[in-house]
Amino acid sequence: MKNYKKLYINLMLVAALTVSSSCNKDFLDEELTTAYSQDYYNTEAGIQALAVGTYYQVFAAEFQGEVPLSSTESGTDEFHAGGDPSNWIWNSYSTGFNAFVTVSNANTVAANTHWDNLYIGIGNANTLIDSATKIASTNDAIKKTALGEGYFMRAFCYLQLVSQYGAVPLKLKPSSKVELEFTRAAPQDVLKQIIDDFTQAYNLLGNAGAPAKITKDAAAHYLAKAYLTRASEINDSWNATTKTADLQQVVTLSDEVISHHPLAANYDNLWTYTTADGANEKLPELILSAQFNASTLTTGGNQQHLYFLSTYDQLPQMKRNLAGGRPFSRLAPTYFVYDVFDHVNDSRFWKSFQTKSIVNNKSGNYYVNGDLGIMYIINSPSDTRFAKTKNTDAIIYPKTGKTIPSAYVAYAADKVGLMADVRFPSLSKYMDGNRIDLSNIKGSRDITLARSAETYLMAAEAKIRLAKAGGATFADALPYINAVRTRAAYKSGENRAAYADGSAAYTTTGQAGIPISYIPENSYYESNNIAVATTATNLTISSVNALPAEDMAVIAKLGYSTDYDRMLCLVLNERTRELCGEFHRWEDLSRTKTLVARAKAYNIEANPNIQEYHNLRPIPQTFLDGVYANGKPLTAAEKDAMQNPGY
Amino acid sequence: MKNKLNVLLLIAIFALLHASGYAQNKVVKGTIKDATGLPIPGVNVLIKGSQNGVSTDLDGSYSINAATGNTLVYSFIGFKKQEITVGAATVYNVVLKEEDNSLEEVVVVGYGTKKKKDLTGSIVSVNADEIASRPVVNAVQAMQGKAAGVDVASSERPGTVGAITIRGARSISASNAPLYVVDGIPLNTRLVTDASTGKISVDPNSGGIDFLNPTDIETIDVLKDASATAIYGSRGANGVVIVTTKKGKNGKFTLNYDTSLMTETIHENAPMMTAGEYIEFRRWGRYYSNPSAFPKGDQPNIENDKLIFLASADPSAWANIEKGWRDANGNLTTTWDGSKVATTDWTKFVSRTGITQQHTIGVSGGTEKMKGYGSFGYLDNTGTLFGQSYVRYSGTANVDITPTKWFSMGVSLNTSYGVNEYGQSNVGRTAVTSSTGIYATARTNLPYAVPYDSNGNRIDNPGGDSTIRTPVDEYKLSQDQRVTLRAFGSLYAQFDLGAISHKLDGLKYRINFGPDLTSYRDGVYLDGKSAIRSGTSFASLTNEKTISYTLDNLLLYNKTFGNHTFGGTLLMSQTEYHNENSSMSANDIKNPENKWNALTPANVTLAGYSSGLVDTGLLSYMGRVSYSYADKYLLTASGRYDGASQLAAENRWAFFPSASAAWVINKEKFLENVTWINQLKMRVGYGETGNAAVPAYATQPPLVGIVYPNGSGVVNNTSLGNVDLGWEKTAQFNYGIDFAMFSNRVSGALDYFTSRTTDLLLKSSVPTVIGVKDTYQNVGETEGHGVELTLNTVNVTSKDFEWTTNISASYQKSKIVSLQNGKFDDINNNLFIGYSQNVIYGFASNGIWKPEDAAEMAKFNAAAGSNIFSFGNARPVDQNGDYKIDANNDRVIIGSKDPKYIFGMTNTFNYKNFELSFFVYGKMGYYYDTGGENEGAKGSQRSINYYNDNNINSEYQKPIYSAGTGDAYYPILGYRNGSFLKMRNISLGYHFDKDLVQKLGLSKLRIYCQANNPGMIFTKVKWTDLDTQTTASNRGITLGLNVGF
Repeated sequence: MKNYKKLYINLMLVAALTVSSSCNKDFLDEELTTAYSQDYYNTEAGIQALAVGTYYQVFAAEFQGEVPLSSTESGTDEFHAGGDPSNWIWNSYSTGFNAFVTVSNANTVAANTHWDNLYIGIGNANTLIDSATKIASTNDAIKKTALGEGYFMRAFCYLQLVSQYGAVPLKLKPSSKVELEFTRAAPQDVLKQIIDDFTQAYNLLGNAGAPAKITKDAAAHYLAKAYLTRASEINDSWNATTKTADLQQVVTLSDEVISHHPLAANYDNLWTYTTADGANEKLPELILSAQFNASTLTTGGNQQHLYFLSTYDQLPQMKRNLAGGRPFSRLAPTYFVYDVFDHVNDSRFWKSFQTKSIVNNKSGNYYVNGDLGIMYIINSPSDTRFAKTKNTDAIIYPKTGKTIPSAYVAYAADKVGLMADVRFPSLSKYMDGNRIDLSNIKGSRDITLARSAETYLMAAEAKIRLAKAGGATFADALPYINAVRTRAAYKSGENRAAYADGSAAYTTTGQAGIPISYIPENSYYESNNIAVATTATNLTISSVNALPAEDMAVIAKLGYSTDYDRMLCLVLNERTRELCGEFHRWEDLSRTKTLVARAKAYNIEANPNIQEYHNLRPIPQTFLDGVYANGKPLTAAEKDAMQNPGY
Repeated sequence: MKNKLNVLLLIAIFALLHASGYAQNKVVKGTIKDATGLPIPGVNVLIKGSQNGVSTDLDGSYSINAATGNTLVYSFIGFKKQEITVGAATVYNVVLKEEDNSLEEVVVVGYGTKKKKDLTGSIVSVNADEIASRPVVNAVQAMQGKAAGVDVASSERPGTVGAITIRGARSISASNAPLYVVDGIPLNTRLVTDASTGKISVDPNSGGIDFLNPTDIETIDVLKDASATAIYGSRGANGVVIVTTKKGKNGKFTLNYDTSLMTETIHENAPMMTAGEYIEFRRWGRYYSNPSAFPKGDQPNIENDKLIFLASADPSAWANIEKGWRDANGNLTTTWDGSKVATTDWTKFVSRTGITQQHTIGVSGGTEKMKGYGSFGYLDNTGTLFGQSYVRYSGTANVDITPTKWFSMGVSLNTSYGVNEYGQSNVGRTAVTSSTGIYATARTNLPYAVPYDSNGNRIDNPGGDSTIRTPVDEYKLSQDQRVTLRAFGSLYAQFDLGAISHKLDGLKYRINFGPDLTSYRDGVYLDGKSAIRSGTSFASLTNEKTISYTLDNLLLYNKTFGNHTFGGTLLMSQTEYHNENSSMSANDIKNPENKWNALTPANVTLAGYSSGLVDTGLLSYMGRVSYSYADKYLLTASGRYDGASQLAAENRWAFFPSASAAWVINKEKFLENVTWINQLKMRVGYGETGNAAVPAYATQPPLVGIVYPNGSGVVNNTSLGNVDLGWEKTAQFNYGIDFAMFSNRVSGALDYFTSRTTDLLLKSSVPTVIGVKDTYQNVGETEGHGVELTLNTVNVTSKDFEWTTNISASYQKSKIVSLQNGKFDDINNNLFIGYSQNVIYGFASNGIWKPEDAAEMAKFNAAAGSNIFSFGNARPVDQNGDYKIDANNDRVIIGSKDPKYIFGMTNTFNYKNFELSFFVYGKMGYYYDTGGENEGAKGSQRSINYYNDNNINSEYQKPIYSAGTGDAYYPILGYRNGSFLKMRNISLGYHFDKDLVQKLGLSKLRIYCQANNPGMIFTKVKWTDLDTQTTASNRGITLGLNVGF
């Protein structure tokens, strides 16, 4: 029996040991070893990493989708509905454009998407400012740079928020727990914060690393933009006391930026993209750009190449291919865009839009791959050459003597026009042949956020506004406008039929044996019907009383008569000519309160629906449903009160 | 050891001496058989009132010395005891009847077993016979409709398991999956979070129950109420499914072969429009989207048709449409005849007859000291869709050895190797298709388009629409192969301390060890020609390895003193879970034969790669006591103390108590003489359980890595860390009655329960102004109650015929009592005080705008300042009557999506050797959101009754041509009552006669034939299978064979 006892004791010992050994504290301690925790922000490396991450969040993340185009290009005078209606509602302001945006499909941008993205950007910027303030770093450069970048990016987000929504909640500190009570700060307070933040960034940052890094010049450019916004019509109810000083600041800051960022010699230099991170992405003209490259491993990707393309691949003899692009066909240019350019003397239309494609899917015996397959003739209203808008196998292409399978004419006797169908010349600024294959949506081109051509036009606008206030003459604006126009004119000896866009960056592997549809040629001569010319052209405006015919047409259509209205119209027109499709338009028009008139005049879908209240976006329902007041969720009446009027 | 030998020797001598005292008696012989005529080995034959006894041999024969007038007692587990008085004869053949009193059945209750009659909690069981009656490919399917309160969803994809919920969903974000326990070892799983909804679920690759061959299962016991599940503490909140695999049985050596062959085809409930119908539908859609540019749908012309149907983009599809414009001689006319256009049934290019065959060979046998069971199973499931299949090899070995009285040890090892061909891959696709699979893709294809052009080449975008991709031949161009190797073990060693020392009588010490290893590999290869790619190929490889174990130390005590029986259990348990995973992918695989197997620098540049690690641990202490008096009054109480690593340190530990009692009323004096009551037992129980089912690291969400061209960086996690995160707790009261009446012809259980869940774990969205999107919080409270009825009746019984019915029915309802900030609705998270967790919230339907509503409609348009409504549009209810449809004032709760009633019924008819059964299953009392009909008329369309100028009293709104949404309010027309009753299975079996079987050298031979999913008995939504919640479900026939040697 003794033995049993011993065995029993041994067994209990074993059990006890097992119990006690597993009882130690370590067993349940959770250790996160596969990623950084918040503690990382207490280090210099962590702050720098957060700055990089915030760059992505604030500058690049939204270009992986349709937010930029729905918030800044849809529903303006520049673009109207293309072939695909995923985000048509942002263009038409019709039923369902509200605190909830009626979902059309998985690509529809919700009412809260842009709002949420901006506040998440602000959250990161707040953390960056907070961490960089707290850290006891001996490396002042790291601390100052991180702080400057933090202030810049926070202001960058708030400037978009105030431009889109008007009054918005101001959140300036990171949160470690859930907070529910928020009210909307007046645009006055939001803009003051924006100006303070950009000023901080301006004071803290140096000027190295543009356009990838945020520089002092970038801060100056956006500070000027913030001042200009504060001095714009949408804020006229309260901006009287700051207006003149603000506008003078715009001029001073713009002059400083312009002096450091000369315009590229040829407008074409900006858009000739042949490889990722190529020369066009490093031009001195560029002040700040969202960075993308060819690596498949980077987070996100630039998808803007998808959205402005028309569906060339549905036309006879044509087939989708890498160089031709993947046409999501979201937005098509309006007749405002077609007509606002001097088609003969201004090179910019021909360098911004693709007007020709070649056959790459021949059927039958007549055409071969490489023949001209599609042509858009962007002629003038006075052109009487064409009977029909759509010409199938009818118009002859002189170089081959063969007909063109599909040719579309902007002004033909049948008056059908290019807005009746989903065929239109595609904006080529984002085309990207440097993708894996034709369906791959991850693009590698940088997106220019700010370049000095815009700075020139901001200075011009400030001068015009000052002239109205009595601080300058309207003619003071002309040198700034002419600087941009001079660059836009044809140079002596320049081949006006030459064309280039990012399609040229295609690779043979990615093309996967499919013939290409891209041709480096435009329809300049077919459209203008003039003899080949290689002399330089001149776009200089010599006097405020001798505005270009294109601008006079717009002024007439919109019924402007005062010098101020005419000159503001000119500068807005010039912004389209220079910056068409560069994600500024909606905010420019709402800021100057010209949105409703211009959209009604040029955007056929917005025309029946747009109303004055559309100058601001609806506050997202998710925000209204989520916030509290006095410890309770808002009542329906309180939500109505917090919403922008009209929604 | 010496001592022990001496004891044995002594016993042997005594036995011999004892036997010799009766040596003058005669020899009595006989054979013992069961009701089917099979001899039973190992039956105890004892002379009553003595220690003298023998066992039958393998042929069921016995021989014993007995005197005339002695009573022989024949006993064997599972059979009724029988007594015979020895008379003049010397041969006594006995037929033992199987124990028909199911109350003697033993039920696994968690860390031990109990007789069914002694249960105090609510437990349902499914035994091997019931599993065998319906061939299933996995253990979860076996429970469908067999257990009241257990809701098992159907999964049609080969190799996947349907979701299971016990007593309804209580949690919102936390997982509602029950805990699985196999041979005493809880299965550990990895939790994953759905990025968009925040719902937590079990990663299907990290270990589930699908690896078990159902044929290897002896019983499934489902612990439902908290007083029963509290024994598993933090893991018991959603119920516990305890699976016991087959073990060898004392004395019976068997070899069994089970096989079945199942053929299935897809049955579609929602036919698509024919080409002719669709063409007219799209014409109407074009007309309503732009009445000035297009003629009415019934007034077509060929020029407009060319535009409407993208004639130039796909000439082959146009050629088909043109047939409708041609006369008998093939000349184009101006008369349209839609019936001339051929309709392409795209689903026939992706579907086939699915064939499933399974074979299991099982051996089992045992002696008193050693029992064993082994099996080898093979399942080959060819899906009803091309490219989908599942093959599983499974092997099981169970051995229990009791070498001495005081020690026993056992090992059970379940292994399986499964290859799941998933069909068209979801990763690596570059084309825009929101399709959920190849079948759905086929249905999105247009009926007038054709698969091949005139040269016989496949058309990638039939109909010329780039968003519609062909499904044809995709199975040759896309592969997604998932291979799972699983080895699950359960080892125990048990010391019967009472056999060592008398003082320790009734005390046992047991150690359980359960290692669980899973290796998962997913290989994907997409050919460049695949319609979901575009020119370049793609390959990816994902590997996931999971190692976990559970180690239990148990002290068990059980002792009876007269009428008093005491039981006690003490447990210390430790669980660790370790999961590591890695994946890589690349574009442009030069050599297609490489697939995912040669992702080397020489071949490709990686397009993505990752590796990850998840570690969790759980530490538990548990104690349980039970007491019963004269089998009449039963009491059980337990307490468990759990600590989980994934919770914040301060809230890591929690205590989960339970108590339950039962009163066996029929043993009371006043019922003693009521013979028609065989059993009447009342149960009452209370228990608290927890749900720590948050993924690891939820209290400290990691920073998110960003790769930006400037360098690598981090951003804040958009989920806010919550260091206060603690257990979600559910407290449950359960009241039950177990009954058996009229010679057990009516038996069953009726349970009523109430439950209250507090500190509800919720991934709640928060105002993004604070810079994050959501956070895990312990918020609010839900309460629920329900009734469950299990009823077994023998309706008719006669010599050759028997009709039995088994019903399991349940009613349940739950509602939210409060949320994080009190009794306020949380609209963003779709949670409303007083309603169930799953409700539809939105605009209510007022039908369709018709010409007779013109005056009313004009008021809405006037208020909006533009024409927001036109005739044929869906008409939302303007709740506050301000002629404005807005989110602040007009949204309401439409209804709950949780079924109130779940019903399962099996009727079985036995006539001689035939057995016929019907299994009916249904859910009632809930809303099903069909989603409405978009009617964009650009994609394909199921056949519906839609509005147009000639059909204004329609079910759905008018079509409006659009790639997106035609009608802004179309979803409001999609809410439907989801009630249905479905015939899931009809089965016909035949037992061959014993004589015939024995002539064949077999011991058992049964064949059966079954119809699976033969049809709906009743449904509120005719065009969808509400059971699978898809429009199509598999329908088929199974042939099966059970052979015993």
